[in-house]
Amino acid sequence: MEMKKRSCYPAALVLSAAVMIAGAGVGKAWAYFTTYTEAAGGYTVHLGDRTEITEEFTNWTKHVVITSEEDSEPVYIRVRAFCGSRYALQYSGEGWSQGADGYYYYGNAVSKGASTASLDLKINNIPEDPEELERFNVVVIYESAPVRYHEDGTPFGVHETDWSILLDNGRTESSGEAEGGGEG
Amino acid sequence: MRKPKRAYSPAVTMALFVTAVAMLLGSTISGTRAALTYYSDTYSSRLQMYDIGVTLMENGEAVSWRDYNSAGDGTWNENTGTLLEHMLPEGEELKPGKVYPEELKVVNTGTINQYVRVSICKYWLDAEGNKDSELSPELIGLETVNLGSDWIEDEEARTPERTVLYYNKLLHAQGEGRSETVPFAESLVINDSIAAKVTEKTEKNGSYTTITTTFDYDGAAFRIEVQVDAVQEHNAEDAALSAWGRRVRVQDGSLSLSD
Repeated sequence: MEMKKRSCYPAALVLSAAVMIAGAGVGKAWAYFTTYTEAAGGYTVHLGDRTEITEEFTNWTKHVVITSEEDSEPVYIRVRAFCGSRYALQYSGEGWSQGADGYYYYGNAVSKGASTASLDLKINNIPEDPEELERFNVVVIYESAPVRYHEDGTPFGVHETDWSILLDNGRTESSGEAEGGGEG
Repeated sequence: MRKPKRAYSPAVTMALFVTAVAMLLGSTISGTRAALTYYSDTYSSRLQMYDIGVTLMENGEAVSWRDYNSAGDGTWNENTGTLLEHMLPEGEELKPGKVYPEELKVVNTGTINQYVRVSICKYWLDAEGNKDSELSPELIGLETVNLGSDWIEDEEARTPERTVLYYNKLLHAQGEGRSETVPFAESLVINDSIAAKVTEKTEKNGSYTTITTTFDYDGAAFRIEVQVDAVQEHNAEDAALSAWGRRVRVQDGSLSLSD
């Protein structure tokens, strides 16, 4: 029994030596030179135009000013007003010009916190006798459109701005007129 | 009668084992001695260092790198920089639609030739800094260039977020040939259609209805990640498979993707 036990001893030593030698070779065969490096970055986007209209009425004239709020992106503004057919409106104001569609466009982009110059809407044909005056309203509507940029970073002008773009809420479908690119 | 002598006595076996171990150690020592004979006060000899290193360049500036330095203390000289750090002048807001220069390329900053690939990842973070998979990475327009001629896209790895490009030429060590790639990107533009993406919430309150419109991308941050991987030229096919998990074919210094 003792003889049998001793005979296994050299075999185990030889085996362990073989594993050591083989192990040294395996390490070389599987080593490759590799490396890597990485970088990341980005910016936060601020969107949304938030504007507010202020109207004052003096001497049969409505004074309209639109203000862009502090957290708004720069916008262009256009305004149009309606009143009864008996009375005519006369528009005036620095920086405002009439477009072919009847809107009055403010020529400069309105940055956050800034305001347009006053657009004055004078109501004409007011009778001198108050008894002859009919009851009527002057309704002012205005629209804002965010300033868009050319590839070189210069802003689109107010007359380059596409006012027909619809907000995409995932359900909005473009009409044929909108797809025409606003040529009209 | 004489007892038969054993073929292997324990003492002989142990002596053989000790000899084997000594020979193994001796082989290492002799290698070290051989290296020492290179040094001489009279004659100089060039000792080739096998250091791998790679650098990501942005608009001509090194932004991130990782170079092995065997001549020093055997550590990695590395730096992880920030992309797009100088894209906007101080105080300027990002302008959707504007094309910003963003030239990206890779330089071999090691002492051995190598093959490289880049992985580009684009995505959006919400205001809390969490990844927002509802926002489209396709609106982050990193304009890739030189595809097909110098960089090959791994179309199997392509997702809306990820693009993986392999440089199909050998990138030489410094001073031994062309050591920088041609650019794989040249500009960045955020699609201005993000300004029209909104979510509307309708609330009915008695006789009137309130519609609240929220801009989907307002307050979100776009993020671009670029990782550069490099493997040695020698046995590049096996090295790429081992390190990248991608089968490539290298023939006459040109790398292509295997199916």
